[in-house]
Amino acid sequence: MSNAPAPGGKVGLRPQDRLATLVIAALVMAVAVAAIIVAGDFPPTMLETDVGPARFPIIFAVALLVLCAILVFNTLRAPAAPPDDPAQVGPKISYGTVAIGIVATAVCLYAMEFVGYAIATPIYLFGLMWLMGRRNLIANAAIAAVLTALIYAAFAYALSVPLPVGSLFE
Amino acid sequence: MYELDMLLHGAQALLNQPMALLLALFGVTLGIIIGALPGLTATMGVAILLPFTFGMDPLSGLLMISGVFFGGIYGGSVTAILLKIPGTPAAAATAIDGYELTKKGQAGIALGTATFSSFLGGTASVFVLIFLAPVLARFALEFSASESFALAVFGLSIIASISGVSVIKGLISGFLGLLLATVGLDPMGGFPRYTGGYTELFNVPFIPVMIGLFAAAEAFKSLEDPQVRAGMAAALDRIIPPWHIFRRQLGNIARSSGLGIVIGMIPGAGADIAAFVAYNEAKRFSKTPENYGKGELGAVAACESGANGCTGGALLTMLTLGIPGDAVTAVMLGALTLQGLQPGPLLFKDHADLVFTLFAGMLVCYVFMLVVGLGSLRFMGRILQMPKSVLTPCILALCIVGTYAINNSMFDIWIMLAAGVVGYFMQKWDFPASPVVLALIMGPMAEANFRRALSLSNGSYDFLYTRPITAALLSIAIVTLLLPLLRRLWAQRSAGGPSTINPAAGTSRMGTPE
Repeated sequence: MSNAPAPGGKVGLRPQDRLATLVIAALVMAVAVAAIIVAGDFPPTMLETDVGPARFPIIFAVALLVLCAILVFNTLRAPAAPPDDPAQVGPKISYGTVAIGIVATAVCLYAMEFVGYAIATPIYLFGLMWLMGRRNLIANAAIAAVLTALIYAAFAYALSVPLPVGSLFE
Repeated sequence: MYELDMLLHGAQALLNQPMALLLALFGVTLGIIIGALPGLTATMGVAILLPFTFGMDPLSGLLMISGVFFGGIYGGSVTAILLKIPGTPAAAATAIDGYELTKKGQAGIALGTATFSSFLGGTASVFVLIFLAPVLARFALEFSASESFALAVFGLSIIASISGVSVIKGLISGFLGLLLATVGLDPMGGFPRYTGGYTELFNVPFIPVMIGLFAAAEAFKSLEDPQVRAGMAAALDRIIPPWHIFRRQLGNIARSSGLGIVIGMIPGAGADIAAFVAYNEAKRFSKTPENYGKGELGAVAACESGANGCTGGALLTMLTLGIPGDAVTAVMLGALTLQGLQPGPLLFKDHADLVFTLFAGMLVCYVFMLVVGLGSLRFMGRILQMPKSVLTPCILALCIVGTYAINNSMFDIWIMLAAGVVGYFMQKWDFPASPVVLALIMGPMAEANFRRALSLSNGSYDFLYTRPITAALLSIAIVTLLLPLLRRLWAQRSAGGPSTINPAAGTSRMGTPE
């Protein structure tokens, strides 16, 4: 987030940071409202001395709503940051790579349910190494295979923790 | 002095049992490995080894299990410091400053401090177990539901001090964690809340969330910058902390160990709670509290001595009263009874020789932990020599496998991934992850004990102020929660009023609206 001082010595927010904070606050508020609505359907307690299953979630959700309201209020009141100095801008952040990495992890998990750890993991590792800029395909394949085998040996053999076999091979 | 005599006899007897010592060494080493791996906790390590102790003599079996316990609590700190992967829940607190020290190139000293602090905290707790067990066991009995509720509230009040740059964002994270902690079976009536029909959600999936928020989120972050992707993680540098630096931590370690011992004695409270409480108190007593969260060695020392101090405390109530202080000692209680030993006051009378030999063995276990720990750090530090482009995929694979190992459940891995994505965005916009983890630990404890205390007092809220320990803990909690807020307000006022600060009242030093 930008921490650039605004004119007059005040600390300011960049427009994208302001928008992101507001979006996050709105999402959290939506979660809190949903939690309160769902808690309304919780059955009353059978014990006279108990507060019931809904009391605590509602307290937490209401606290979240209040805190998010304060955050929204403060974010809207915060002054705008001056435009970034091109000379001081850091390295360009590649959100695309992050998104691909997250999707690749999801695909790996989905594949693991069918083909198991032994097949899904080396492909996943290979792909991530390529994504992170390692272009030596043979070395990547070897590293991926060794890492998969090491993790498998540590968990499955040394610690007797079974790893997913995959529904195709069960 | 009876205890000292018995301890010396125990040490003598232990020397005649090299196999027991060897098994203790094996237990400690395995414990460190298990602790360092994400998803595998000391509880799991003890449970894995339990069947192997059936055929052993009581001393060997119990020492091996104790070794796994001690090593497991310490081992979590290694990956927490090097990679921000808390191997165990207790290491989540260590990761806050430990990883920052790694980023500063001080991983070696952080690891060395963690090892020495763990050793000192653990050893102190065993000495307390030996010499003060009967006295302190009576104190542990004073803790009923209302005191446990107050302890949980005290734990939650720490959120304000681990919030990082913005207290409001920290509190939002904390309350989000508390709301998440209500997912699962209602602690009194057993009604499923927010489970969506998934039986996997009957218990809060706390470890998958923790792994996702800390480790996966950090791994996703390292994907975003091409320079980081190409670089190495960091250097290990010197491991043994210089005496003039470590000396300053001795008071901190003593205080944190004491806290750990007391918290360990309380049924239901474990090393995770002790580590967070020790962190908060270290920050409170520190002359440089502003450095906490940015890579402060004192934070690492406090968390580790607190967490390991817990071990002796948890064993104390288990051995003297038969009440396990946490999940690990609950499994150890099973090991003890399987060996034909009945925990309780009579254990110290009827099996005094065995008990004091075991105590001597526990002290040896901590020496093994120090030696194996320090000896393995250089090797562990090699991790940092790996290029990020290999290390990051490896971390993600470990997150997946470690999460799966908890319950052999793919569902847990999806939770971990979701938490990782949420954690990535939280990190991006300065919402700290530690309060979520703290709330997930303390939330269920607070709710369950509050409702239990309310039922015990026939629906009256009197227990909040009529019981001295409860009232004292709640008062400290209020002070702990309000102090950072008051400090910031005071700092803003003394900085010259609203003209020099963000008009969004409470805007933090870094410009994040609070």
